[in-house]
Amino acid sequence: MVAIPSESTSARGADVGIAGGGLLAGAVLATIYLISAPLFMLLASAFRGPRDMLPFEPGTQWTFANLASIYADKTLYSAVIPNTLVFTAGSVTLTFTIAFTLAWLVERTDMPLRTTVFTVVLFPLLVPGIILGIAWILLLAPRTGLLNLAIRATFGLGGDGPLNIFSMGGLIFAQGIALVPFVFLLLTAALRSMNPVLEEASNTSGASPAVTFFRVTLPILRPGILAPLILATLVTLEQFEMPLILGLPARVSVFATRIYFELNPDTDLPAYGRAAAVALPFLAAGMLLLWFYNRMTRRADRFVTITGKGYRPTRIEIGRWKLPALAFVTLYAAFAAILPALVLVWASLFGYQSPSWAALSQVNPTGYVNMVYSARFWMAVRNTFLVAGGSAVLVTIIGALLSWTILRTRWPGRGVLDFVSFLSIGIPSVIAGLACMMLYLSLPIGLYGTVWVLILAYSYRLAVTTRLSKAALTQIHGELEEASHVAGGSWLTTIRRVVLPLLAPSLLASFVLLFIIGFREFTLPVLLQSRENEVLSVIMWKLFIGNQTSQAAAVGTTIVVLIIPVIFLMRRLLLGREAT
Amino acid sequence: MLKVTGLSKSYASEHGPVEAVKGIDFEIPAGGFFTILGPSGCGKTTTLRCVAGLERPTGGTISIGGRVVADAGQGIHLPAFRRDIGMVFQSYAIWPHMDVFRNVAYPLQVAKPRVGRADIEAKVMEALRLVGMEKMARRPATDLSGGQQQRVAFARAIVRQPKLLLLDEPLSNLDSKLREQMRDELQELVSRVAITTLYVTHDQAEALAMSNHVAVMSDGMIAQCGPPPLVYSQPATRFVATFLGTANLLRARIVSSAGRTATVALDGGTEAVQLEVPPGLGAGDWIDVVFRPEDTALSFTQGDGNALYGTLERISFQGGVSECHVRVGRAVVRSNLHPSITAQRGDPVWVSLDPGRCVVFAAAAS
Repeated sequence: MVAIPSESTSARGADVGIAGGGLLAGAVLATIYLISAPLFMLLASAFRGPRDMLPFEPGTQWTFANLASIYADKTLYSAVIPNTLVFTAGSVTLTFTIAFTLAWLVERTDMPLRTTVFTVVLFPLLVPGIILGIAWILLLAPRTGLLNLAIRATFGLGGDGPLNIFSMGGLIFAQGIALVPFVFLLLTAALRSMNPVLEEASNTSGASPAVTFFRVTLPILRPGILAPLILATLVTLEQFEMPLILGLPARVSVFATRIYFELNPDTDLPAYGRAAAVALPFLAAGMLLLWFYNRMTRRADRFVTITGKGYRPTRIEIGRWKLPALAFVTLYAAFAAILPALVLVWASLFGYQSPSWAALSQVNPTGYVNMVYSARFWMAVRNTFLVAGGSAVLVTIIGALLSWTILRTRWPGRGVLDFVSFLSIGIPSVIAGLACMMLYLSLPIGLYGTVWVLILAYSYRLAVTTRLSKAALTQIHGELEEASHVAGGSWLTTIRRVVLPLLAPSLLASFVLLFIIGFREFTLPVLLQSRENEVLSVIMWKLFIGNQTSQAAAVGTTIVVLIIPVIFLMRRLLLGREAT
Repeated sequence: MLKVTGLSKSYASEHGPVEAVKGIDFEIPAGGFFTILGPSGCGKTTTLRCVAGLERPTGGTISIGGRVVADAGQGIHLPAFRRDIGMVFQSYAIWPHMDVFRNVAYPLQVAKPRVGRADIEAKVMEALRLVGMEKMARRPATDLSGGQQQRVAFARAIVRQPKLLLLDEPLSNLDSKLREQMRDELQELVSRVAITTLYVTHDQAEALAMSNHVAVMSDGMIAQCGPPPLVYSQPATRFVATFLGTANLLRARIVSSAGRTATVALDGGTEAVQLEVPPGLGAGDWIDVVFRPEDTALSFTQGDGNALYGTLERISFQGGVSECHVRVGRAVVRSNLHPSITAQRGDPVWVSLDPGRCVVFAAAAS
């Protein structure tokens, strides 16, 4: 750890120069715009009416009608809120049970095949949620799901089911499984940062392993467990894609789908004001969780107990628990990666036919043929890479400049800026999409419906890079920059020749991370969709609900095939870092 | 009290198996203070961890108070929490989620036999009083300085009066001033609690000052074991001689010998000196001569003859003593001069040796 004396980096504002000042000011303004402008528009819309008009169209006025009509609706209290709570609580519980077990097995026991778990877990992390959702429908739909067919055939059951993905249970299963990798990675990091000597001290004090686990391990890990727990709750609360594809057919409506429903009602015109009104408490809940998260991570920092020299943790010998542990891992791998991948390949070649040797002769590559000859597919490929890449570049650059401004200048208001950029974690994607929709429909600059509006909407995720590059910048001692200044380098020269080269690895990491998030994104492009800006996840969904199953599966398979090399690349990075 | 026989431990590493401890034996009598001294990577901490039960030995046996706690041959391995030990870790391992009192009370609460609540309070306060921390009982562990953490760790290790106290470089994380103070304090504490102690360190000053017995360890083996003054003055190997304190190690050749006494010429030097050599060495054999700077005398005249002639190459004033480097032939000999004596670089000097305080080894093949 490099401690940074705040004094050495003080009073820097003056020597930035005109060009540098302009650059930083640009980044600051861009941040404020990207996050605040849509939010402002959202807040205003909630109080503007009539409801089917954009907030500042001629003829609109300030009103409480939106709020009144939404919050007088009984189904909000009898269905939407309870559903959201059950869905969130259920999924987060499932996620945590699986993720903690896996993380503990991988980090603290001598279970064989530990690195394989990393590979398996990366699959649902990288594959877009919408693809997993569709794969699970193909497996677990009550009438046609292949797994249901297999179960019925084995036990001689009739009718539908027995499993039904279109239910609250199915929704919780899907979301719970899909979020495991994210929580798993955070928990392995927490487990790894804990000094094993603290447990050994308990051991030599005469405590049995069970007593040690409950009296030392868990309490010390508590902040490291609670922070991912809060983050997982936040992510689940804002979940849109699973509730859309699994919840809607099951008539299970949660907050996020309710907002979507207001924008795409069955009969009426879009009700912008009402959608914004639904969003408000949702946003408040997000901010509250974010505040808790911030408090937790600050406590976690205080508890961090890594020391320079140390033994690798002594792994617990699992002995006769080896088989149950491996069975658990296999079960997770089957549902999270293997079965979804297989069913996509099968459906892309054989449609809804159930797998058998006889069916193999009826292979039908029409799905792929249609896909390859579809201009719409190629445009979606272009859009996906353009939007994911463009927003990742934009956000990485702005985020880096922003971190520098926050850490190295004495500009007034840096603290607020830090907070604004952090805020973006707490904004649910649905709300970000809704807010951007309102903003760019209202602004007469013709951006709405283009890929550019997607790039701008994706870019509200500034917090990711700001956090990463801030952490990296704290490690670069201010004196390294001062040495360059003393040697005669201007601000821009110093940034270019000293700061950027040192920062490059973490900037690359945040670019990759943002690219992956952008590649997986479904909520924003589906809300802001037009004929012109469809991305892969959106056309896959549209093909699927348009009953072009094999073509949808062909698109899904193509994406999975593209992702598999990335999985092995990331695995090497993750495990390589672990080895050093 | 503690008896270790044929202890060995090997690990599988990325570069193949590593033998950290290669079959060592030692014994500590009840109430003894035994130190394992050695450079980092010599296997000393692994030995300690095997005794604690945190590592499973690959060979040998360990018994504590007559009870076999580990026997690799018979597959016996008592886990750490059943061994009735107390341990102070290098990083102290003070639990950050408990205050001072609860850290120290923990062993009494979790270990068997269970201790009553009132007894716990009394014993914890007694242990805290012993280390001078009784006023800080309710302080959160995260607010302690290094020295305070060390005291709490010690109180926690002895609070249930274990059979054996294990100390793993407990002073190495302190700054030098505090380290000296804590060394004296720790020695005092250990003698007061009268628990058999196994101490592991790489700091020879700690080892020499604190222990009844010191084992110098190198490359997984014990090079020499004995009371500190004996090990210091009669090192058994070149390694022990050079690792403990400052030593001169010079290559020389026996010119002539009569029984154990031999006349020896330093490689490249001009003067011959009389030394005692081990049996089996005779005229023409090469030897290594080891002696300490404080066992030499530096003078500007030749004196009685058993001296090496050289020129003063460096003199550095250290306060209580002036350290001198004397060029003798191809070698440099370190000696001391009283600080009131002034000398110049290049001065011709004689370094006289006390034959009784020189240790001679047959020269290593080179």
